[in-house]
Amino acid sequence: MDTNEPKIPEIIDAPEALAAKMQAMRAAQAVYAGYTQEQVDTIFKAAAIAANKARIPLARMAVEETGMGVVEDKVIKNHFASEYIFHAYEHTKTCDVIEEDPVFGTKKIAEPLGLIAAVIPTTNPTSTAIFKALICLKTRNAIIFSPHPRAKKCTIAAAKTVYDAAVAAGAPKDIIGWIDVPSLELTNDVMKGSDCILATGGPGMVHAAYSSGKPALGVGAGNVPAIIDSSADVRMAVNSIIHSKTFDNGMICASEQSVTVLEDVYSEAKKEFTARGCYFLKEDEIDKVRNTILINGALNAKIVGQSAYKIARLSGVDVPENTKILIGEVESVEPAEAFAHEKLSPVLAMYKAKDFEDALEKAERLIADGGYGHSSSLYINTDEKEKMALHAARMKTCRILINTPSSQGGIGDLYNFKLTPSLTLGCGSWGGNSISHNVTVMDLLNIKTVAERRENMLWFRTPEKVYFKRGCMPVALDELGTVMGKKKAFIVTDTFLYQNGYVKPIEEKLDSMGIRHTCFYDVAPDPTLGCAREGTKAMTDFAPDCIIALGGGSAMDAAKIMWVMYENPDVNFADMAMDFMDIRKRIYTYPKMGTKAYFVAIPTSSGTGSEVTPFAIITDENTHTKYPLADYELLPNMAIVDTDNMMNQPKGLTSASGIDVLTHAFEAYVSVMASDFTDGLALKATKNVFDYLPSAYENGAKDPEARDRMATASCMAGMAFANAFLGLNHSLAHKLGAFHHIPHGIANALVLVYVMRYNADPVPTKMGTFPQYQYPHTLERYCEIARYNGLVGKDDKETFELLIKKVKELKKTIGIKDSIKEYGVDEKYFLDTLDEMTEQAFNDQCTGANPRYPLMSEMKEIYLKAYYGKED
Amino acid sequence: MELTKDNIIVQRPYKTVYRCGDTVVKIFSKDHPKTGVFNEALITAYVETTGLPIPAVKSVDCIDGCWALTIERADGRTLEAKMAEEPEKRTEYLEKFVDIQLRVNSFKATHLRNTRDKMEEEINSLKNLDPSTRYELLQRLHGMPRHTKLCHGDFVPSNILIADDGSYKIIDWAHATQGNAGADAAISYMRFCLTDPSMAEEYLKIFSKKSDTAIQYVQKWMPIVAAAQLTKGVPEEKELLEQWISVAEYE
Repeated sequence: MDTNEPKIPEIIDAPEALAAKMQAMRAAQAVYAGYTQEQVDTIFKAAAIAANKARIPLARMAVEETGMGVVEDKVIKNHFASEYIFHAYEHTKTCDVIEEDPVFGTKKIAEPLGLIAAVIPTTNPTSTAIFKALICLKTRNAIIFSPHPRAKKCTIAAAKTVYDAAVAAGAPKDIIGWIDVPSLELTNDVMKGSDCILATGGPGMVHAAYSSGKPALGVGAGNVPAIIDSSADVRMAVNSIIHSKTFDNGMICASEQSVTVLEDVYSEAKKEFTARGCYFLKEDEIDKVRNTILINGALNAKIVGQSAYKIARLSGVDVPENTKILIGEVESVEPAEAFAHEKLSPVLAMYKAKDFEDALEKAERLIADGGYGHSSSLYINTDEKEKMALHAARMKTCRILINTPSSQGGIGDLYNFKLTPSLTLGCGSWGGNSISHNVTVMDLLNIKTVAERRENMLWFRTPEKVYFKRGCMPVALDELGTVMGKKKAFIVTDTFLYQNGYVKPIEEKLDSMGIRHTCFYDVAPDPTLGCAREGTKAMTDFAPDCIIALGGGSAMDAAKIMWVMYENPDVNFADMAMDFMDIRKRIYTYPKMGTKAYFVAIPTSSGTGSEVTPFAIITDENTHTKYPLADYELLPNMAIVDTDNMMNQPKGLTSASGIDVLTHAFEAYVSVMASDFTDGLALKATKNVFDYLPSAYENGAKDPEARDRMATASCMAGMAFANAFLGLNHSLAHKLGAFHHIPHGIANALVLVYVMRYNADPVPTKMGTFPQYQYPHTLERYCEIARYNGLVGKDDKETFELLIKKVKELKKTIGIKDSIKEYGVDEKYFLDTLDEMTEQAFNDQCTGANPRYPLMSEMKEIYLKAYYGKED
Repeated sequence: MELTKDNIIVQRPYKTVYRCGDTVVKIFSKDHPKTGVFNEALITAYVETTGLPIPAVKSVDCIDGCWALTIERADGRTLEAKMAEEPEKRTEYLEKFVDIQLRVNSFKATHLRNTRDKMEEEINSLKNLDPSTRYELLQRLHGMPRHTKLCHGDFVPSNILIADDGSYKIIDWAHATQGNAGADAAISYMRFCLTDPSMAEEYLKIFSKKSDTAIQYVQKWMPIVAAAQLTKGVPEEKELLEQWISVAEYE
C-alpha cells in the first residue's frame, strides 16, 4: 500500500476528517469515471438488488429512529427506490457516447459531474438515500451523504448497503461516503466542497444548498390541493385521497393537504370519507386541532408522521383508534387558517366550492401559501377536457395529477407510466428550484455535444418554364390557352411600352385564344407602393387567373408586388422586407403564391433578370422607404425571353443594364453561396457580356445576335444570382443610387473595379460566414472568370490584372464615366452624406453573401475612391 | 461620586445601577467580562452617531476592581409604567412603541455585530437541547434573509423612557446588533408573551401593519429567538420557549 496515501479517519465528525474523506472520494470518482457502461451497469444492478433485499430492515430502522411514519409504507418506498429506479434506467446509456447522428455530424458524450452532495430529510431517509446512491452509481458520480441528525443511523445504513454491494461488484472504494456525526457546519462543508447538490429538505436546507455557490437540484415544500369535480367518480376519488393521505402517515411532500369538493357532490364525498374510517372534526375539535398543528405559524414537530389517533389525542380530541384521517371542514384558504398549511400528517382540510371556478381559486391560493411549483391534483371525468385544460393552466405546480393519489402518483411510474420515477421532485422557479421535472440520471451528467462541420444544403430554384429565342413569345403564350385553359389575363407594363405598341402582339395572341384581358400601363421607373396599390385594385376588380408582366425591372417588380397583394390582401410590407441572414431561417413566412393567378414575366431589356429572380423592389412614396423583397414565392411561373421585345433599347439602357448583367454574374460567382449550378450560368453570362455588349451598344437592332446573346446573358445571370445571391458591389450601388440618383447599372459599374480588388485580397480583415466558404479564395475565383474569358497571365496576380483591365476597357467602350463626381454629384453633399450612406450600404441585404465581410470604414474608402475615380 | 444604597435604581445579580448626579453608573460584578463592558460602551457610542435619542456613554472606569459604565441620566417614566397606569391608552402607546422601533430599524448598522452570529453562538451554547433540534434551528437561522438594520435586541416598553414633555429616550443597548428587523420584532413579541400575553397579538398586528411585513415573516424567527431567550435560563419561561422551538421544517 502506498504510504503517502492520506489517512481517512474512520468516523467523519469534524471538518478535517470530512476534507480527507472528500479527497479520497474524489480520487475514487476519478477512477470510476473511466469505467465502461457494462461495468457500471453491473454495479448498478448489484447495488439495486442489495437495497431491495434490505428494504424491510431499513424501513424498520427509519421508523424506530425517527419515530415517524409507517414501516409497511416505508417498505414500499424502499422497494420503489430500488426496483423502479433500476427498471427505469436499466438500459439507459449514461457513459461515453450516448447518442450519435452521423448524418448531421453530432455526437453526445456523457460525463459524470464528479462528487455529489446529498442532503437527506428525516421524512424519507432510507428511500431517498437509496435513490440518490443508485442514480449516482449509474452516472459514475461519487456521492457523499449528509444525513439529518434525527435520521442518521438509518440513512447511513441505507447508504452503506448500496455502497457495500457496489464495491463488491467492482466499484472503487470510497465511491459512496457519509458524515457520521452530522452538524450544520459539516453539511455546509459538504455542499461547498461538492460539484453538485442533490438537496431534499425544507426551504431552509434548499436555500442553504442554493447559496453554497454550487449547482443544486433542490426541491421544496408542497401544499397539494385536491379538487373533486362534480363529474368525478366520487368513490374512487375519496378512496384515492385516503390511500394517499394515510401513506406513511402523510409525510410525502406530494400528499394532499386539502380537498375541495364541488357543492353538488359534497355530501356524497363526506359520506364516503366517513364510511371509510375518516373522522370529521366537530366545531370545537377543529379549534383544538388547529392549536396543535401550528406553533407561531410553524408546523408542530410533534405531529409530523404521526397517526390520526395520536394527533387527536395530543389535541385533546377523542377519536377511534383506527381513525384514518382527521378532517377539518374549514372555509378560509388564508395562511392564518392552520388547516390551510402543509401538515405532513394525516390531517386534511376540506372545502366546499360553489362552482369549478371557486374550486380553482381556492386551489390557487393554497398553492401560493406554501406549495408553489410542487403538485396539484384533480378528480374529474376525463371527458371534461375544457375544465381539465383550465385547471392545468391555472395551477402553478410542476406536476398536475388527474384521478391519482398524489403521494404515490407524484413519484411517477405507479399511476402513470410516462411520469419519471423519482424521489426528488423539481418545483421549478416557482419553488426556487433549477429544474421543474422529477430528477433523473440525466440531471447528473454533463453532456458534451461534439458537432462536426457540415455544409449547408443548397438549392437551385428557377421558374418552372423559361422560354427563349427571338420570336418565342407567341408560341410560349399559346400554352396559357391551349394547355392551361386560362380565361382572364391582366397585363402590367409601362406607358412607353404600351404607347409604342409592345403590348399589341400579346393582346392579339390572347384574343386569338379567347382569353379576356386588360392592361395596367401606369408603372413608372422605381415603382411606388401607391402605383402597386392602384394596380392591385384594378387587378382585384378584374380577377385574372393569369398575370403578364411586360417591361424592364420596374414593370416586372411592380407586377410581382401586385400579385402578392392580389393573392394576399393583408400582407405587411415592413414584415416582408425584414432582413435575414439565411433565407430559409427568416422570421417572416411569405404567403403562398399562385393560388389565384399564374405569373408570366416578359423582359424588354437585358439587365435585371427579374423574370427569373425571387426579388422585387418597391418604394413607399410617403415614407421614402425602399422595400427590397426577396422570397422564392415571388419567383415568376413562366419567363419568356424574346429578343424581339429588346431590339430597340436605347443606347444608355443597353450600357447600364448590360454592365449590371456583368456585375450580377461576377457577384454570383464569388458569392459564399456559389455552387456548381450557378457557376456555369454565371461564367457563360460573363462571356456573353464581354463578347457581345460592345456590339449591342454600338449597333443595337442592327446586330440581332448581340441582342440575343445579351438577353440570354441577362437571364442566365439572373438565375445565378437568384440562387447564389449578390454581394458588396450591389450593397454599395443600391445606396449610391438612392442617395445620388445614379442609374442602378451605372452605380454598379462605378464601384465594380474597387470591389473586385477589395474582395480579391487574400488577407481580408474578416471573411464571410458560411460553412461552404472555407478560406479566402476570391482572387482564385476572379481568375477562373478571367481564364474562361481567355485572359491568362503568368500567375493569378497577373491574370486578375488582365480581368480588371478588360472590365475597364468594357466600361470605356460602352460610355461609362470613370467617377461618381463626373456624374454631377456635388462633392460637399457626397461627403456630408457619406457616413449615412455607408451605414445603410453595410446594412443592405446583399452584404451577407459577400465573400469578404466588410468593415464600414473599408466601405467608406471604396466610396471615396469611386467618387474621385482614383487609380485603383 | 456618591454611590450609596439610596441611589440604587436597579439591582441585578451581575450589575448594580446607581443614580449619580446627571449620570447613572452601572457597576458590574467582579466576574463580569471586561469585554462585555467595553462592548456595551462601544455599541452605545456607535448608536449615538445615528442621532437617535439615547443616553450618551460618558466613561468606562474600574472602581474597586469592578468595571463601571457611566452614561447620561435620562429622566422620565418607562413606557411600561405608563401603559400600566393608563390602560385606556394602551393601543396609543403600543403604536408609539412600534413607531420608535421602526425608527431604530431604519438605520443601517454595518459596524455592529451580526444578529446571525450572536444567535448562532447562543443556539450552540444550548447543550441541553438535543442536537437534531439545534441542527434544525441553525438551518432555519441560516435560511433567513441577511439584513444590516440596527436592531435593539431587547426592545420592550421598559426600555423606553418618556419625559414629562413627551420626548423619549431608548435605553439599554447592550444587545444591539445589525440584522433583520423581523428578528427584532419577534423578540419584542416573545417578551410580551412572557410578560403580558394580552399585548402580544396586538403588538404583532401593529408591527405588521406599520412595517408592511407579513406576520408569517416575523413568525419564522420565533423558534430562533425562543432558543436565544432559553440561554437566559429563566425556569418559568422554559415550557413556553421549548414549545416554540419544537417545530418542523416543511419537506
